[in-house]
Amino acid sequence: MTAAALFQSALASLPEIMVITGACILLIVGQLVRKGQEHVLVWASVAVVLIAAVTTLLLAGEVRPAYTGMFVADRFAVFFKFVFYLATILTFLLSRKYADIEGIGNSEYYVLLLFALSGMMIMASATDLLSIYVGLELMVICTYVLTGFLRREWRSNEAALKYVILGAVSTGIFLYGVSLVYGLTGTTQLDGMAAAVTGDPLDPGLLLAVVFIVAGLVFKVGAVPFHMWVPDVYEGAPTTITAFMSVGPKAAGFAVILRVFLNPLVAGSDVWIIVAVIAVLTMALGSFVALVQDNFKRLLAYSSISHAGFAIFGVAAGGADGIASVMLYLLIYTFMNLGIFGAVIMMRNGDVSGEVIEDYAGFAKSHPGLALLMLLYLFSLAGIPPTAGFFAKFYVLVALVERGFVMLAVIAVLLSVVAAYFYIRIVMVIYMREPERAFDPALTPLVRATLAFTAAGTIGIGLFPAWFLRLAQHSVFGG
Amino acid sequence: MGFPLLSLIVFVPAAGAAVLMFLRSDDTVRRTALGVTVVDLALSIAMLAGFDTATHEMQFTETYPWVPALGITYALGIDGISALFVFLTALLGLICVLASWVAIDRKVKAFMINLLVMQALMQGVFCALDLFLFYVFWEAMLIPMYLIIGVWGGEGRVYAAFKFFLYTLAGSVLFLIGVIVLYFNGGETFDILALTAQDLPFHVQSWLFFAFLVAFAVKVPMVPVHTWLPDAHVQAPTAGSIILAGVLLKMGAYGFLRFSLPMLPEASVYYSTMMLALSALAIVYGGLLALAQDDLKKLVAYSSISHMGFVTLGIFALNLRGLEGGILQMFNHGVTTGALFLFVGLIYERTHTRSIADYGGLMKVVPVYTAFLALFTLSSMALPGTNSFVGELLVLSGGFAADLAAGAAAVTGALLGAAYLLGMYRKVALGPASVGARYKIRDVNAREMAAILPLAVFVVWVGLYPKPFLNIIDASVAHLLAQVHGKGGGQ
Repeated sequence: MTAAALFQSALASLPEIMVITGACILLIVGQLVRKGQEHVLVWASVAVVLIAAVTTLLLAGEVRPAYTGMFVADRFAVFFKFVFYLATILTFLLSRKYADIEGIGNSEYYVLLLFALSGMMIMASATDLLSIYVGLELMVICTYVLTGFLRREWRSNEAALKYVILGAVSTGIFLYGVSLVYGLTGTTQLDGMAAAVTGDPLDPGLLLAVVFIVAGLVFKVGAVPFHMWVPDVYEGAPTTITAFMSVGPKAAGFAVILRVFLNPLVAGSDVWIIVAVIAVLTMALGSFVALVQDNFKRLLAYSSISHAGFAIFGVAAGGADGIASVMLYLLIYTFMNLGIFGAVIMMRNGDVSGEVIEDYAGFAKSHPGLALLMLLYLFSLAGIPPTAGFFAKFYVLVALVERGFVMLAVIAVLLSVVAAYFYIRIVMVIYMREPERAFDPALTPLVRATLAFTAAGTIGIGLFPAWFLRLAQHSVFGG
Repeated sequence: MGFPLLSLIVFVPAAGAAVLMFLRSDDTVRRTALGVTVVDLALSIAMLAGFDTATHEMQFTETYPWVPALGITYALGIDGISALFVFLTALLGLICVLASWVAIDRKVKAFMINLLVMQALMQGVFCALDLFLFYVFWEAMLIPMYLIIGVWGGEGRVYAAFKFFLYTLAGSVLFLIGVIVLYFNGGETFDILALTAQDLPFHVQSWLFFAFLVAFAVKVPMVPVHTWLPDAHVQAPTAGSIILAGVLLKMGAYGFLRFSLPMLPEASVYYSTMMLALSALAIVYGGLLALAQDDLKKLVAYSSISHMGFVTLGIFALNLRGLEGGILQMFNHGVTTGALFLFVGLIYERTHTRSIADYGGLMKVVPVYTAFLALFTLSSMALPGTNSFVGELLVLSGGFAADLAAGAAAVTGALLGAAYLLGMYRKVALGPASVGARYKIRDVNAREMAAILPLAVFVVWVGLYPKPFLNIIDASVAHLLAQVHGKGGGQ
């Protein structure tokens, strides 16, 4: 690698470098922050992300391949990186008060989130199975630790342990698939792999490798049949981390899935059948099991499985519209899901956990404004217009029908009717019950700002989707 | 592009709802809501005044790009069919506010906001000329209606609200898929007029017909997907029932008129016999169910199923008299059944019972109330001289021309209507006064009169001189028929 190439590579990955450097600095500086001064950490972390975001934007003008084909900074990656920035910043803002209440507000918390962010960014840009692996591990190891951050709570410990064990197994499976690919084709680059996979006749060993790789990735987005960790981890983790995991790492997983499977060569093959089956099963399981949940976080865990299923429908559709629909779906999901999680986080105050749906009975009576926001998020998650959630689903359906998969589209919407039930059930509890106690939500200005921002996104993208749609369509790779 | 009259009609209620959010006293809220609905009604009268009855073309059109990448536009416009319902919606909106004046005594502000949002969305449905826009309005109505039933309804409100929501949603999502399929088959546009001009192959039309049928049949509702209606109507507050019966049910029939018939003419002709049979079934079955009710509101609710059967019968007779009768009957049903729900609400506010057995001899206690009740009851059973007579006569004559058996069944339904309505009136209004002994109730006051009178005027006006109303829809119906038979190859 020449010096010029190295410089170009460094330039292409400058945002990642900045986030990692910032995290390292914060790791040291964080030790000097005294108790009661934790807001410095929040603002410093937000600043790191913002600097990275500006850098990303400045470099977004052209496609920059880097590190001898292992990494690329293209518009596709830029789109996903902005989803990650958004998710991370909002998580920081939501964390301030919550971390105080739970006593987890030390600098490691923020540093780990930043490292997780850098891992996700690498995943979005990776074009080689090994660089995907590096990003993936960087991300998940941080989330393992963050899941177990409530050290005195057995649920949190249990969740972290489960997550580590299952996560390690899935990573192992993924790596085994990678090694098979390398052994059979002599390359770990996605393009090379795609060429081999679509060759005729297909090497049965390669098929096995693809199955392993799929299994590893499906685990990360929490799709059937590797979804078992999701409810326990989501329930046990600190709620802010649950919120983060439900949008950031999930989007990162989808970025990789899109790169691997919507490579034009693979997209032309019959892989979509497997993807479609996974989509149907994931959405069905998430929707039906969520019907009987009483714990808000568990319900949102199943809801996130169900949404992952809907997004996978977009992957099955393939093509430029299919890819764009998944990207737009993830962006919109970030807004509405962080919004509803923000509401859950805000409820955690004093003795109230805010985790049981019944805790919200009659909330509309004393807090009509906040109740209205929750209504907005919930109807958006259910996919009712004019919210953004509707447009997200609509575009996925357009992509499906465009490809000729009308039956899949019908299955998707019917399952979303099932899913609508548990969202409107929460609305019912909020609006149609009498309050049993006084509410005291932890409403700091930061939480307010987050809720306002996510609500603006949820209704704004719903009413004026044109710009965001174009953005997603322009960010499709190869397009 | 001239004055955006339709946008105003659609968004004035929405803006009014936004204003309500900042008001504090319940009384100001009520007055403001009333003012907003009066403005909306005035705007819709202005629209009728400027409406050109000589053409079937869309009028007052507005078009702005919305999501250009998918060919979605913000397009509004009305023809004769929608004009009538824009007016009906505005009229009933005003009456809903009056009907909720004292009936809603808690969370008044939230209720009025929901009511106004609902009105904006309903106007949007009737004005939309873009399928995507139409669907957004159509589906968004679920949110305020769910809250109106679920928060302010009776004892079984939560169950009724869920049932309403899920039924309608399940129906609409298939419609959504149909819309997207239509989009790709019709040249990647959501423009309703452009899609209407498309000539789709028969098998596509067939599939779409059934996808649309599910959505519209649930809304109408047609037997056998009617079971949400009695629950929703009975549990909803009076204003909710008026909106449901007066406007929401019309949307299913409007869907047939706006989409199924002109876009899928061959399928509409091909499946018209099935639709006639379903309509006849609804007429008779709804009537029989109404006959068996001992709850006033349930009786009116089931009578709606029967009456909407007349509407769909007229529509799928696919001839001029049938269609005109069906559309006029949609308007009439909105007026008459809206009024009947209002009357049930008025008496319920006073006595807190809806059981027919609890009443008797109301005529001696509240003479004005019973006099008007008689008018609307007779209108509902289509007595000559009232509005429904004109509509039902046209429907029957169209129905007989299309299918003898369906027409015969419809006549039976009309007889059943006389039976349950007169029976209801006899038990409630005549005989010895049973209510007066237990309750001291007052007759209608000025505010209630203000809600009743406009409806009464339309009952008599349409009954004696329907020409202006038929004039409005004439050109559009003739054009619609030409579309159906022109492309559908005649009958």
